[in-house]
Amino acid sequence: MKKLLEVALGILTAVGGFVDIGDLVAATATGARFGLALAWVLVLGVIGIVIYAEMAGRVATVSHRPVFDLVRERLGARVALANLFASFFVTLLTLAAEIGGVALAVELLTGINYLLWVPPAALLVWLVLWRMRFQVMENLFGLAGLTLLVVVVAVWHAHPDWSALLHGATHPAVPMGEGRPTYFYFAIALLGSAMTPYEVFFFSSGAVEEGWSTTDLIVNRMNVYLGFPLGGALALAVMVAATLFLQPRGIDPTHLSQVALPVVLVLGKVGLAFTIFAFFAATFGAALETGLSCGYTIAQYFGWQWGKYVKPAQAARFHLVMLVSVVTGALLILTTIDPIKLTEYMLVLSAAALPLTYFPILVVANDPDYMGSKVNSRISNAIGSVLLVILVVIMLAAPPLMIITKAGQ
Amino acid sequence: MIDAGLMLLDRQLIDADGMLAGKVDDLELTFPEGGGPPVVTAILAGPGALAGRLGGRLGHLVEVVAARLRHPEETPGRISFGLVKRIDSAVRLSAQRAELDTDRVESLVRDYVIRRIPGGDHAPE
Amino acid sequence: MRLSELLHAEVLDEHGRSPGRVQDVRLVQDGPVVGSFGAAFRVAGLVVGSTRTFGVRLGYDRREVNGPWPVKALITYLLRSARYVPWERVRSIEADRVVITGSIDDLQPPGSPG
Repeated sequence: MKKLLEVALGILTAVGGFVDIGDLVAATATGARFGLALAWVLVLGVIGIVIYAEMAGRVATVSHRPVFDLVRERLGARVALANLFASFFVTLLTLAAEIGGVALAVELLTGINYLLWVPPAALLVWLVLWRMRFQVMENLFGLAGLTLLVVVVAVWHAHPDWSALLHGATHPAVPMGEGRPTYFYFAIALLGSAMTPYEVFFFSSGAVEEGWSTTDLIVNRMNVYLGFPLGGALALAVMVAATLFLQPRGIDPTHLSQVALPVVLVLGKVGLAFTIFAFFAATFGAALETGLSCGYTIAQYFGWQWGKYVKPAQAARFHLVMLVSVVTGALLILTTIDPIKLTEYMLVLSAAALPLTYFPILVVANDPDYMGSKVNSRISNAIGSVLLVILVVIMLAAPPLMIITKAGQ
Repeated sequence: MIDAGLMLLDRQLIDADGMLAGKVDDLELTFPEGGGPPVVTAILAGPGALAGRLGGRLGHLVEVVAARLRHPEETPGRISFGLVKRIDSAVRLSAQRAELDTDRVESLVRDYVIRRIPGGDHAPE
Repeated sequence: MRLSELLHAEVLDEHGRSPGRVQDVRLVQDGPVVGSFGAAFRVAGLVVGSTRTFGVRLGYDRREVNGPWPVKALITYLLRSARYVPWERVRSIEADRVVITGSIDDLQPPGSPG
């Protein structure tokens, strides 16, 4: 158990990165419309975030400098400000979506409209950000997010045709009724969300919150190698569940209840109970991750004291930013805008932030002044460079694809 | 010898207690009386200093906002270079951040917002 | 004067030709003693080049960053025209412009500050 707690940071980061509200709906939609033809994108995304989170974690462990610190140092004040605008805006919208997701999970349980649950959900999220110790928070919500394993259980119990599934995953083909541009649009969205910048903002800042130092490099690796593949596996399970139960029925999911449908069909009421709890835990954890990342990015750009490792009074502006972010997020949801649709439209912005975030990480991880002997291995450099090229391609391809496909219609 | 852009600009400032105290947004250069190259006399930190780096309309906008937040007689966050203790991956100062010019907005937020919310002064649990 | 006023200023030689803009300012620690820091930094010279900001702060040309090799190769190529202007050759500093004596042809690449 104690070993499991040591990787809680990685698990919580991965939950917010792979199975937050946006990902739950997207993975379900992808499975429902494309079967497993996009499963390879998830695999690529896991490889990408593993390589870069390990780098960002290693840099934070050795030099105590979190990611946004480095973005400004290596790219300059102007370019970093552009990244800040894009990243903060996207993270804030995601925070809004997660608060909405928490409210939706409670609606699933009680039947009472989600809008009524938004203020208490936001208040609870803020209270945890205000008062709960970082270690307690990551252990609690990291472990709670693992209840999403109920989807894996459901898929197993459904006794699917494993060879057919494997075939669908290894021979990606665009199904009838979908176009090639839409396929690539979904691929970009999926990869972008697997490597979304707030994951590395949160993970590297978390490394500093935890007080990791050079003797903890192994802990950094354990967190990354265990947490993110686990997150990817959960997302894959959701995709498979949708392939098995939604695709044959031609259901295109737009609501959280449809995401739960496969588990309910296989495991009945017990499955539903676990699923609702899992949705609550995952979206709450993601709300904490995005809320903290809102504070981390702004504070780290301007050099303000940040972190839960000091009293709120010692990091006043950092806590103010988080408070304002949670309130803004809640207000946004209360306007009844669909926050998930909103994050989809922000794809162009988030795609632009990707290379601007990951490039400085790659450079600093190679800097012997910072890293001493712990600079990147050739493998990390090779995979990291290939991924960076892919991210630049995504950045360039996102605007036209969004227009052509009308955001994936 | 060091290159200012590479080693000083945009670096984290850390005070004597290890608390974060802003970034090196700009440097103050003073021409000596007898002629010769300018000397780096101070670190400039805060929105007033950052405005100069951003340039153009954006910088002007930041400058206007910063002037509103500032007391009329105050110079934009100036930290005498004599307060620098060491330069490594960050710039370490020999003073505490409360003694610095640049702490003003942080202490305003602390006193008027954070301290008014229950729990602001306690360590998290 | 502020450092930001020097950065990005256009540099012109006595013939009106330009090797680019100020990318960085090299400092040497041999000024008067200041506070607890020791000898203050004095401006030794200017690093001048034709790329505006990209790649200038990464550390491939003037620090020890070595990898990944394709990135290093690309950045080194982009920054190949960078030159160093010792302070003695600075004739005047005007708003957004620095005029130097002599010709740009006899300027050396900046190398590492050491």
